[in-house]
Amino acid sequence: MTTLQEFPDLDEAGFEHEALFYRGDDGFLAGLLPFVREGLERDESVVVAEPRPRLEQLRDALGDDAASVDFLDMAEIGQNPARIIGVWARTLQEHTDAGRRLRGVGEPAFVGRREAELVECRLHELLLNHAFDGGPAWRLLCPYDEDHLPRSVTRGARHTHPVTTTVAGRRPSVEYAGGGVLDALAAPLAPPTDAVLRGTYGPADIPATRRTVAQYARKVGLSEEQVEVLELAASELATNSVRHGGGAGTVAMWVEQGAAVVEFSDSGRVTDPLAGRLMPSLEQTGGRGVYLVNQLCDLVQLRSSDHGTVVRVLTWL
Amino acid sequence: MRAHGTLSDIPEAGATDHVCWVYENDEAFDRAVAEFIAGGLERGERLLCVGERVIESLRGVHLPAQDVATLVAAGALETQTLAEAYAAAGTFRPMGQLAYYEAATRRALAEGYRGLRVLAEVSALAADPATRPELIRWEHVADDFIARNGGFTVMCAYSGTLPQEALSDIAAVHPFVHTPDGVPPFRIFFDDDRIVLAGSVDSFSADRLAHVLAASPIGAAGAVLDVSLLEFADVAGCRALALWARGLADRSLPVEVRGASPLFRRMWDVLALSEYAAVGFEEAAA
Repeated sequence: MTTLQEFPDLDEAGFEHEALFYRGDDGFLAGLLPFVREGLERDESVVVAEPRPRLEQLRDALGDDAASVDFLDMAEIGQNPARIIGVWARTLQEHTDAGRRLRGVGEPAFVGRREAELVECRLHELLLNHAFDGGPAWRLLCPYDEDHLPRSVTRGARHTHPVTTTVAGRRPSVEYAGGGVLDALAAPLAPPTDAVLRGTYGPADIPATRRTVAQYARKVGLSEEQVEVLELAASELATNSVRHGGGAGTVAMWVEQGAAVVEFSDSGRVTDPLAGRLMPSLEQTGGRGVYLVNQLCDLVQLRSSDHGTVVRVLTWL
Repeated sequence: MRAHGTLSDIPEAGATDHVCWVYENDEAFDRAVAEFIAGGLERGERLLCVGERVIESLRGVHLPAQDVATLVAAGALETQTLAEAYAAAGTFRPMGQLAYYEAATRRALAEGYRGLRVLAEVSALAADPATRPELIRWEHVADDFIARNGGFTVMCAYSGTLPQEALSDIAAVHPFVHTPDGVPPFRIFFDDDRIVLAGSVDSFSADRLAHVLAASPIGAAGAVLDVSLLEFADVAGCRALALWARGLADRSLPVEVRGASPLFRRMWDVLALSEYAAVGFEEAAA
């Protein structure tokens, strides 16, 4: 059976971002337990973010060692994958400040995720390198269930992780494409498959735009809490268009299988690939809008290129 | 809670309120003057009319029982041009104005009136960008005085021809607002010991909110901000509140926020605004 301890460290100095491809519960534990225990032996801070069933499985297998590990529910902290980098950034800061090295486990692309979520998981994995390369040294192991995830997802993980581990061993990924962040951000989203309501807005239309979105959200049966969240998201995103996206934008609304979708487009370009993923500093005047939308909404897909910026907000029905 | 809202008609006599009345034309203004004064007479209040435009309107006003000249002669109605009002209350500074109107209200009560009813047309002060900030501060300070003391009723009349920016600034600091063209995004007023924020605050009105809050009179016990009438606030609105709270915290003045919606609380947490400014959240008082 493969254990990580059998393999040399590829890079002790920087951020090590590694995909672990496992099969079945045994394969999951065989990959994870040595990684976690090695961290504990080295007195590193070990933080595991997994969906709840996997958390329980790992906790049971760790026995007494579980008390030394921080467990996070990935389905909660990473419901919208665009929130996860912020969680790791805070965790890294906290443990680095305390003088301890961080060792993380994060399974964002867990089995049961919707297709659109898995698309965002892939972008998230790619952006992790952009976010943490060149920063403090820490390791992040990302398990992928080879038995149950679509092949496109596991194949994509080879493009987003510089290191991969399988039963065959731990090695640098020859398919890694860490430089493809801007291309990934520019990749078009799947077009709507159903009828779309569309409108335009300018500087004087922000209140009307948010009211229109709220009205639509009520009409398609969202709860009042979801309506309020979408209204707030609409205000923030339309304001961004007016302030930073050429002064105007387009809102499109439709329902697709399992989701109410509201999409904001404008002619601006988002230059920071991590926009909205990291908590802005308290002194910073702007930059909170997309961050807030990421935190409050079920799924947010941001794409930006020379042709403009699109922010698609999905609310699960 | 103190009466508040948007108005289509002059409030009934008996209300001790702070009304912003934006008039669309001379006829509408004259009608408002007549109704507001008649309301004061019905209640037995002393009347003080400030501004050339009000004085002009009084010349043609038809009152139910007495004419204007009789009322002036009896001391029941006084008029002041803007220049006279400055001379009476000192340069246009909120605290000077407040001291003057406090004394005038006390005098009216002492002389057997049920209070002092002021009708002011000060569009000129609102039109001038140099005097508008002081005017806004005065309106806000006056509202605190009106909320805490019975016997002082004010209607501030402004011409609908003022720039929208000026009208929004002015309307924001009145609990009662009448405007021919829609309602202001938010209103901020006092209710006993609370500051009440009503309506919507977004990126385009957050600076206005910040300016008004900066002028809020805050006692030694700190501030209580009631947001139970706040229908919508975005990130910029929340940040304006956090900045205000931090400014007060720097002066050792605590801030309590009442009636915050679950989404407001959630937004405050997500944006880590509690690290910015310590704010106590309480449920709205019944």
